[in-house]
Amino acid sequence: MATMENTWARLRKMNSLWWQIGLIVLAVVLPLPMSDYYRSVLWRTGLYIMLGLSLHIIVGYAGLFQLGHAAFYGLGAYTCALLNLHFNVPTLLTLPICVLVAAFFGFLITRPILHLRGDYLCIVTIAFGEVVRLALVNNIFGITGGANGLSGIARPVLFGMALRAPIYHYYLMLFFLVITIFAVQRLENSRLGRAWMYVREDEVAAEAMGIDTTRVKLLAFVLGSGWAGLAGALYAGRVTVISPDQAKFMESVILFCVVVLGGTGSIPGVFVGTLGMVTLPELSRPLKAWRDAWLGVAMVGMMIARPEGLWPSRRVRMGLRGEQNEPTLAHAIDE
Amino acid sequence: MFKKLALLFFVLTLTLPTLVSCGQEKGTIKIGLEAPLTGDYAYEGQGFEKAVRLLVDQTNEAGGLLGRQVELIVEDDAGDPTQAALVAQRLVDAGVVAVIGAYNSTATEPASEIYNEAGLLHITPSSTATRLTQKGFKRFFRVCFLDDRQGLFAAKFAKDVLGVQNFGILHDNSTYAQGLAEHTKRYAEEMGINVAFYDAINPEDTDFTPILTNIGAADLDAVYFTGYHAQGGLLLKQTGELGLDITWMMGNACNNPELIQIAGLENAVGTYVTTEPLPKDLEYPEAQQFVADFEAAYGEPPSSVWWQMAGEAFNVIRYAIEQTKSTDSKVLAEFLHNEAKDLNGITGPILGWDEKGDRLGTIHVAYVIDENGEFVLHPEQPE
Amino acid sequence: MQFIQQMINGITIGAFYALVALGYTMVYGVLKLINFAHGDLFMWGAYLGLTSLNVVLGLVVQGSAWCILPAVVVVMTTVALAGVLVERVAYRPLRTAGRLAPVISALGVAFILQSLARNIYGASYKTYPNGITPAGGFSIAGSARVSVMQIIVLVVSFLLMGALYLFIQRTRIGTAMRAVSLNHDVSRLMGIDVNRIIAVVFLIGPGLGGVAGMIVGLYYGSFDFTLGWTYGLKAFIAAILGGIGNIPGAMLGGMLLGIIETLGSGYISPQWKDVIAYVILIVILIFRPTGLLGERVAEKV
Repeated sequence: MATMENTWARLRKMNSLWWQIGLIVLAVVLPLPMSDYYRSVLWRTGLYIMLGLSLHIIVGYAGLFQLGHAAFYGLGAYTCALLNLHFNVPTLLTLPICVLVAAFFGFLITRPILHLRGDYLCIVTIAFGEVVRLALVNNIFGITGGANGLSGIARPVLFGMALRAPIYHYYLMLFFLVITIFAVQRLENSRLGRAWMYVREDEVAAEAMGIDTTRVKLLAFVLGSGWAGLAGALYAGRVTVISPDQAKFMESVILFCVVVLGGTGSIPGVFVGTLGMVTLPELSRPLKAWRDAWLGVAMVGMMIARPEGLWPSRRVRMGLRGEQNEPTLAHAIDE
Repeated sequence: MFKKLALLFFVLTLTLPTLVSCGQEKGTIKIGLEAPLTGDYAYEGQGFEKAVRLLVDQTNEAGGLLGRQVELIVEDDAGDPTQAALVAQRLVDAGVVAVIGAYNSTATEPASEIYNEAGLLHITPSSTATRLTQKGFKRFFRVCFLDDRQGLFAAKFAKDVLGVQNFGILHDNSTYAQGLAEHTKRYAEEMGINVAFYDAINPEDTDFTPILTNIGAADLDAVYFTGYHAQGGLLLKQTGELGLDITWMMGNACNNPELIQIAGLENAVGTYVTTEPLPKDLEYPEAQQFVADFEAAYGEPPSSVWWQMAGEAFNVIRYAIEQTKSTDSKVLAEFLHNEAKDLNGITGPILGWDEKGDRLGTIHVAYVIDENGEFVLHPEQPE
Repeated sequence: MQFIQQMINGITIGAFYALVALGYTMVYGVLKLINFAHGDLFMWGAYLGLTSLNVVLGLVVQGSAWCILPAVVVVMTTVALAGVLVERVAYRPLRTAGRLAPVISALGVAFILQSLARNIYGASYKTYPNGITPAGGFSIAGSARVSVMQIIVLVVSFLLMGALYLFIQRTRIGTAMRAVSLNHDVSRLMGIDVNRIIAVVFLIGPGLGGVAGMIVGLYYGSFDFTLGWTYGLKAFIAAILGGIGNIPGAMLGGMLLGIIETLGSGYISPQWKDVIAYVILIVILIFRPTGLLGERVAEKV
């Protein structure tokens, strides 16, 4: 046992860059021996990790309740579809516009509600999510195609080749995912990131320290929403059919659980959460009709046993547990 | 400690599938069924499985197909397009010969793209969205009719038989109902009927008294509801409770005995329903045999026309395989396009398919609910 | 005349929202928790009502409206106990676990309840037996029609709400509930057993919700397992509209929401009815989050 502890400690002391490179290599190599179905599962896992990270900025860092996040995912997908179908913009080129549109809506929607506290923010975001979904279903402005959604979106074209097979989409996704992870890590350690965490821990104190809490919260929403829009566009390019179902409340709930159950406030937490909420249920199809019940049991059980999630950031964990895990101060700061 | 476990869990979950190899039963003919076993359409999806499984079991007891047993692989898409794309991939990987499904057009569409790229024969029992057959997929077929056939029929019935001048159309924003409503509106207006009322309900509601009050006050000769029987029943019931005098026509998704149960008999009498002929009204015995077998196996008759369509889809695949003695999707598809004609289907005579994969002909008839709570053919049918 | 009919429609729907909203508002008042599972407990009331009614009908020779009473008692007790159980298992351990955890736990309970209903009862619509409830009605003001059932529903709803209001205002337990909803710690200092009071809240709130579910089932005649979600969200909007934690507020909010929804549905379109409700919610929360009658919850700095 002691030697295992030592090895583990030594491994962790290794430069985290090596860990990350190792994971990237694993991610690149992983789908090669798999069948198309499992490659699709990997793709979907990656998509949800990206979505989870986008929500993680809002919920994990800034501590804001956002239960309508799937709306921006849907908006990104619809933007991509509309640009592609009506203006023949190649799917890959629509990506920046999708991000901007989703971010813009994020700004519009959250600007008036930033002053609301926790539970009210929760309800209002649910309401906004439903309004977006219903507007899409009711074919607002006649362009959203109603409950049937839009179809016929062109596949992304890279170097003259249209990406069809799941594995290509997976690599495209991986590319964006790696960028996302690096960006989020940068954010975590930046002034903005710390400002978010102060706001999360104690908003009044943060305001007293001179942080413009309104601006900071707004930035969290805008960034998170924009990123969700990017994920939506990638989805549109792969499945080529989109519908208002993407903005439904259940999606937002799953994303929320991914962030909180996996581990609040930490990036690895999002990975674990996605595995638990997305990949595992997909691979456990035989459970069929009882899957929802199991999900519910998992949610309740997890919250009772470990409310900070499976792999939380140390700060959040300490805050919730009120205990010191590490003997030295140096380790605690080293998060 | 937890973190290490989490890491292990992470790695295992990702690598486990590649380590596990699925044991395949050799020698069976695999047919795939993609249906919403959970989710909002669970009722219909579970019915799909019952219908198809019954026929698969019958086929196997009779010796199978081409001397091999038929293996039914069922996947649940929960009516959701993302899930549909995933399960479609699963079915492709499982090596099925043909796929029946899905239920709703939103799920069928992404799945059909995947089946098309894999070159699989794909038959949908119930997805009526027009654009599904506009993509040029050579191996995609429908056993249900496009909404425009039923819409045309409904408009003709309203004009020729009921003599309607002011017409109302009510849908529920679902793909199927909205499509049917739009087509009905178009044809009705072409025939000179004034569509004075056109609106949609929210199928999740239970209280429709506001919209009914409006309809009651609008002086319409008839109203055509294109949604599903659960809401149709509630509409009828609340019409009676409000004491309104509305002549109701309903589409084939209301072709279900539960409609009368939900509405209450006194509120349902006199309602017209446009639908494919019920098995009891077809001239050949195959359809009634199916109904009887279904009832024997499950204790209830197939109450939804879509369940019968699912069975129909399987029968078509079985017929094609038997006739062509092949399980090659290309051969089967060509057979269905070119040579399959005049079959005695569970849902009525199948004339064949056109080059897009749509079922030919139009066989809708109008039923009326009589005082015994039975669906009887209306004495007058439009030609 | 059409307007009067729409108002009647709206008030009826409003009464249902109000009954369900009461449960939400009470729980939020004492625990500051959005009980997402409340709507599904309401839905279970409808299912259990059907089962117990069928059992009672099976026992008697001639079915009549009186069969409803024993069934109601069964439903109320069962759902109330279920509510207490939920609180004990899923919410009490999380009282000190931050703000995110109880929300997820509540959602989890909601999923479990929905899944249980769907698996036990099946996915299709269920219907209450016909002919049990009194039929018929009469016309007022021309061709506006009020049914006997509607009157009964309204009377019963008001009686229940009135009884609850008196209970809260006049009894010791009711006063203790109001104290707990203001401040847990001070209540403890005053000798109130906070846990017991919370358990009582979870008896009454879900109990009322369960009865409301059965009444909805009797009134509309048919329902399925998605009943809880729609009513739950609407009832919550009603509670916020009236002022969360405020019992008369929940009643007022329910009525108002029912009327506004109905008028919107009748004069604009049923498709946008839900959007109207959500927009009302958003507007209220932005401009007057304490609701129309003011909220009654513990202060949180």
